Amino acid sequence: MSVYKWLDERLDLSRLNKKFMRKAFPVHHSFFLGEITLFAFIALVLTGLFLTFNYEPSTRIIKYQGTELPAAYASVLYIDSLPFGKVIRSVHHWSAHIMIAAAFLHLLRILVTGAYKKPREINWYIGLGLLGLAVVTAFTGYSLPYDAYAVTATQIGYGIGASIPYVGQWVSQVMFGGEFPTLRSLPRLYSIHVVWLPLTLLALIGLHMLIMIKQKHTQPRYAEKIAPGKILGVPMMPMQASVMGLLFLLYLGVLFILGGVFIAHPIEAYGPPGASTPAVKPDWYFLWIYGILQMIPNSWVIPLPWGQEINPEFIGGVLIPGILGLAAVLLPLLDARKTKMRYLELPSHHPLRTSVTVGILFFFFVGTLAGWKQELGLSNAVLWTMLILIPLASAAVTYMLMRSIYGKGDQTETAG
Amino acid sequence: MYRNDTVLPFFAILFSIALFYAFRLDAIHLEQLAGEAKEELTPGQIGLLAFSAVFLVYGLIGYFSTWLEGVELRPGRHVPEPGAAVAVVSVLLAVVLAGLSGFFVRLLLHQMTVGPVSSAAQGVVFGSIMLVAALLLAIYKKYYLGDEVLIEDEHSEVPW
Repeated sequence: MSVYKWLDERLDLSRLNKKFMRKAFPVHHSFFLGEITLFAFIALVLTGLFLTFNYEPSTRIIKYQGTELPAAYASVLYIDSLPFGKVIRSVHHWSAHIMIAAAFLHLLRILVTGAYKKPREINWYIGLGLLGLAVVTAFTGYSLPYDAYAVTATQIGYGIGASIPYVGQWVSQVMFGGEFPTLRSLPRLYSIHVVWLPLTLLALIGLHMLIMIKQKHTQPRYAEKIAPGKILGVPMMPMQASVMGLLFLLYLGVLFILGGVFIAHPIEAYGPPGASTPAVKPDWYFLWIYGILQMIPNSWVIPLPWGQEINPEFIGGVLIPGILGLAAVLLPLLDARKTKMRYLELPSHHPLRTSVTVGILFFFFVGTLAGWKQELGLSNAVLWTMLILIPLASAAVTYMLMRSIYGKGDQTETAG
Repeated sequence: MYRNDTVLPFFAILFSIALFYAFRLDAIHLEQLAGEAKEELTPGQIGLLAFSAVFLVYGLIGYFSTWLEGVELRPGRHVPEPGAAVAVVSVLLAVVLAGLSGFFVRLLLHQMTVGPVSSAAQGVVFGSIMLVAALLLAIYKKYYLGDEVLIEDEHSEVPW
C-alpha cells in the first residue's frame, strides 16, 4: 500500500483510476470475438519473441547433426529440440490461424449487427485493414521454416503478387527481395514478418481500441430501456479487467492443448526444399483464392499497353478479392444513417443484410471447395455454376425465410 | 444479440464440436487413403481446428460472462458472500494448480536431462495450468470481487 501511496504522490494514480479505470464497458458475449483476436496477437508476439532467439533467416547450407541443410530449416529443427520449443512454435502457428479466424468472425459480428454505421465507419476501415494485414503477416511467416511446403506455398503467393500489372515486379522486389526464392528472400520476409508488419498491426490495434473507447461499444438493445442514451456497463477495473484476464487464460489453455496435441507445421514431415516441388495447397484462408485460381482457364489473358497483361493469377488472386474488399469499403457509405448508432441491430430485423452475408459466406465456402477441384473431379463449368448459383440461392432462401418468420423487420430500430 | 444470454455461446460450442468431428472424419478418411496416420495436417484440417478453437473459446467465455455478469446489467453494487464450500473448492484448485506446475517443470527437466518428452503431454499440462488458473479467477470474480454496474454519460472525457 505504501508503494501505491509513494507512486500516487508522484504520478497522481488516483486521478488516473478515477478518470480511466472507471470507464464503463457494456457487457455482451459477442464483444469477446474482438478480444480473442487481440489475445491471439499477444500470444503471437510472446511466442514470436522466443522464436527470434534461435531462428536464423538464411538459406546458406550448414551442417546440422551431420546433414547439410539450409540454416533456416536447421534452426527450426533446433527450436523443436528445445524443452517446450516444439509446442511454442506450434502455438505460434496456431495463434496466427486463430487470430485470422477470430478477426473474420469479429468482422462478421460487426457486419450483421450494423456496427459499421455512424460514428464507427473509421473503425470499420481500420478493422478491414487489420484483417488484411493479419493475413499478409501470416503469409510472410509461411516461408520462414524453409521446408519444402513453405517454399512451394510462398511461391503461390509470390506468383499472385508478381502478377499485378505494372507494379507487380516492384511489389515482389520489396516483399521477396527479387524472384522468390533468392538469397535475399528470407532476410527480407523475416524483417517484414517480425518488425514492420507487427509494428503496423500494433499501431492499428492501438488506434482501433482508442477509437472504440472514445465512441463506446454498440450496446445490447435492452440497455436502451434501463439507461436510454447513456452507457450501461461494468467499470474497467476491476470488473472488465478480471473477465479479460479470464478470457486470456481460457484462450491460452485451449491454445496450448491444441498446439501440443496437433503440431501445426511439423517440418521434418515436409523435409528441406528439394529439386521436386511437392503438390501443396496454401493455408485455409487462401484456399478460396486458390480455388478460384484453379477455375480460371489459362486463356483468360487481357493484353495491356507496354507489354503488360491481366493474367489469370491477377484475376483470381487480386481482382476478385479486390472487388469484395471494395464492397466492404463502400458498405458504410451505402448503408448509412444520419443519427448516431448506439445499440446493436438484431440480424433478424435486417433480412437483406443478413441474407447477403450468408450468400458471401457460401461464396467463400464454394471457392474453398474448388481448392480440391482435382480430388473432387469437378469440371470448371460445374464449379463456376456452383460459385455463382449457390451463394445467390442461399441468400435468396435466407431472405425469404427471414421475411416469412420475422416480417419486414423493425424499421424503427434504424431511426436512432 | 438482445441481451447477454447463452443462446449463441451454446451454438458456438455445438459448432465447435461439429467442426472438430469433421476434422476427425477427414483425418480418418485420409488415414484410410494413405494406409498410415500422417503427422502433418492439411490446410483444410487446420482451418477446421482453428475455427473449432475460436468457437470453443467464444462459447466458454460466453457462458462464463453470463454466469459472472448476468444476462442483463442492473445499475448498483452487489457485495458477494463467499461460503465455506467456495473456499474449499478454491483451495483444492490451488493444490491442483501447484501440482500441475510442478509436473510441468518435471517434464521440462526430463527433456533437458533424459530425452524427448511428448509435445502433447507438455501442451496438455501447460494448457491445463492455464484452465485451472482461469477457473480460480472466475471463482474469485464471482464470490470475492463482487459486482458493480455503472451508468456513464455518452460524452465522457475518456480518452479525450
